[in-house]
Amino acid sequence: MPEQNLEFGKYGARGIKGSEAVSRVLDSLAGGIATPVTVRRGLMARLHYLTRTPHAWAAAREAGLTVTDRTVKAWLEGRRGPSRANLERIDTAYWTVRRHNVARHLLRRLNSAGGTRVELHPLNQSQVPRPRQRVVEYRALNVRRWDRIVEAWAAADAEALDGAWTDVIEDLGSQWGQYEYVTNVGFAA
Amino acid sequence: MSDFDAIDSLLASVGPEAALPAPEQRLRLREAARLSKAQVARALGVSPSTVTGWETGRDPSGEVRTRYAYLLEGLRERLESEPEPEPVVEPETSSVDEVDDAGDDVEFLGSPEPCVLCGRPARQRVAGFAQHLDPAECDAEAPAAAPARTEKVVEAPAAPAPAAPARTEKAADARPQPAAARPSGAPSAKPSTRRAFQPPRPEPTDLVTHAVRGALAEHHGDIEAATAALVKRAIPDAMRLLDESRKGARYDIIAHPWIPDVLRKQTAKGADQIWEARPKWTRRELPPGEHEVTALDINGAYLSALKTHLPLGQLEHSTGFAHDRRRAGVHLITPPVWEHEDVLPNPIGNRDEPGPLWVTEPTLRLLQRLSGPKYGLCEPPEIHESFTSGATENLLEKFRIALKDARDAAIADGDEVTLEYVKAMYSKFVSTMGESNYNRELYRPDWMHIIRSQAFANLWMKAYKAHDEGLAVVRAMGTDELHVIGDWRGVFAEGRGVTEVKVKDTYTAGAVGTED
Repeated sequence: MPEQNLEFGKYGARGIKGSEAVSRVLDSLAGGIATPVTVRRGLMARLHYLTRTPHAWAAAREAGLTVTDRTVKAWLEGRRGPSRANLERIDTAYWTVRRHNVARHLLRRLNSAGGTRVELHPLNQSQVPRPRQRVVEYRALNVRRWDRIVEAWAAADAEALDGAWTDVIEDLGSQWGQYEYVTNVGFAA
Repeated sequence: MSDFDAIDSLLASVGPEAALPAPEQRLRLREAARLSKAQVARALGVSPSTVTGWETGRDPSGEVRTRYAYLLEGLRERLESEPEPEPVVEPETSSVDEVDDAGDDVEFLGSPEPCVLCGRPARQRVAGFAQHLDPAECDAEAPAAAPARTEKVVEAPAAPAPAAPARTEKAADARPQPAAARPSGAPSAKPSTRRAFQPPRPEPTDLVTHAVRGALAEHHGDIEAATAALVKRAIPDAMRLLDESRKGARYDIIAHPWIPDVLRKQTAKGADQIWEARPKWTRRELPPGEHEVTALDINGAYLSALKTHLPLGQLEHSTGFAHDRRRAGVHLITPPVWEHEDVLPNPIGNRDEPGPLWVTEPTLRLLQRLSGPKYGLCEPPEIHESFTSGATENLLEKFRIALKDARDAAIADGDEVTLEYVKAMYSKFVSTMGESNYNRELYRPDWMHIIRSQAFANLWMKAYKAHDEGLAVVRAMGTDELHVIGDWRGVFAEGRGVTEVKVKDTYTAGAVGTED
């Protein structure tokens, strides 16, 4: 792909990968427990979410929370606290299950009414020497099919998400490489 | 050499100011010539509102005054000479190439003046410049036909121009045409061409009328049901109207920019850090005696507040005291001390906490205005940091005008359905344009705060106007509530239009030292 950037930021441009920005927006649209897992309130909320139904618990196990039912019971009753490694596993499992649960609904919203309009706010060139600055304008485009993007996001597969997002921004035309890195991507569902 | 040129031009500009007719005369001249303000403004390089100002009493100065005087003088001459040639068709005029002369005002001189093109005596003046009408006359080595024609002109000095063919043949020459000598600022009355067989372009206001008509038809004329249905769909309809009103516009509406943390809600149901300066002020003590207090209601306060300086793109951070008037956004300021609390509300509202606070553009501009020499009511505010972007006042202007027109028409027709619908459209548009789940198409908390603050600033200025005209302001509340003592009808017009006020309530206060 000749348009892709090889050494982004070599001359001081700042930005994040478009696909990462998309994943952030999707995260904020999905919502979830805001309190961190290290706080008791946040931990309990996550454990309750993951153990509410046998289906959710199976999904949590699949997402890497491989502890016995007895341990979870002890955590829930407050007799024991999870180790730091397990706290991390609980958090990962929570977000994986959460994304998976929200994905279907989010996808329907994003695909409805002919897709969703996405705004691309170009990268920050304020630290780039003047002669190397380029005119990169604000752009907007309509994304009709979100299936691959949402699927990759729900699976937390950054590479697949990047591929899916690249396919989208290729529609911007021959200069699409300028929008591989952005300051912000804006859309709502 | 160029130094002296500069001095010469400076000296030339010092000379006596051009005389202008009276303002009503200016208006009459322009209207008699069927010129629009926009046309005049374009020709003079000013804005149409400036022309309005000149026609209502203000006076231009400097170079533009000279040009305006020139224009008015030209209009007057033309209008005075026009009625005469119209009824009597002179035989010579028919031979003139009408296309060429349509825009030129040709005067005939009693005594010849040097032609601006060749310097030899000429008897005609075009747009103030003496010149030969036929380029052939400027030429010393004219073709054989030319002398004969010149003689003819000398024979009949009133003859305006020779025949057209000679001109068209000469048009290929590099010699300047008389029209080229016309100053570029002179207005040319060119009729606008309109394409045939085009469908009429839908006006944004049509969206409102169509929606109302459709809803009434759907509910078989049941006014209450139709109103409820319309109010329910007011937000998407407002967004559609906004899209419609931005067609062919210069700036895109950026709906999802990056938002700085000061504009983000701290918690899901909490508020962000912006202080909107909502007035909530009641006078501490009334003037002695009993008073009749009138509670006035400002019509369509949020509708009028849509005209404000809105940042276009992503907000950029800056620190320091400088304020760029071409940008707008939110600012962290230390407000000035307010010493007129007894008679006028504090322009930043009743803030309990001291110290710096985040305010929006309208509040800052109001404070700066009040600290200026014209008002001199407070010290200028101290700006510490800002999040701003390039701004325009016209972003929502078409949208506002469409709603205002629909509202005015609805008031004139007594159409309560449209009135409710329009009201729901603008008020819900403003209240949901931030981080609301009811309108996901637009995430501009900055605009929401700025528009609200503009409404509050507008109310403050109304309170000041009342105070300035000798009324006693008793209370200023929210966006549209103003309580005054005195003859307010001399200050505000009463009615239902957006520039007018209506009476909400009248009550007596002050007998025992309490009010309301």
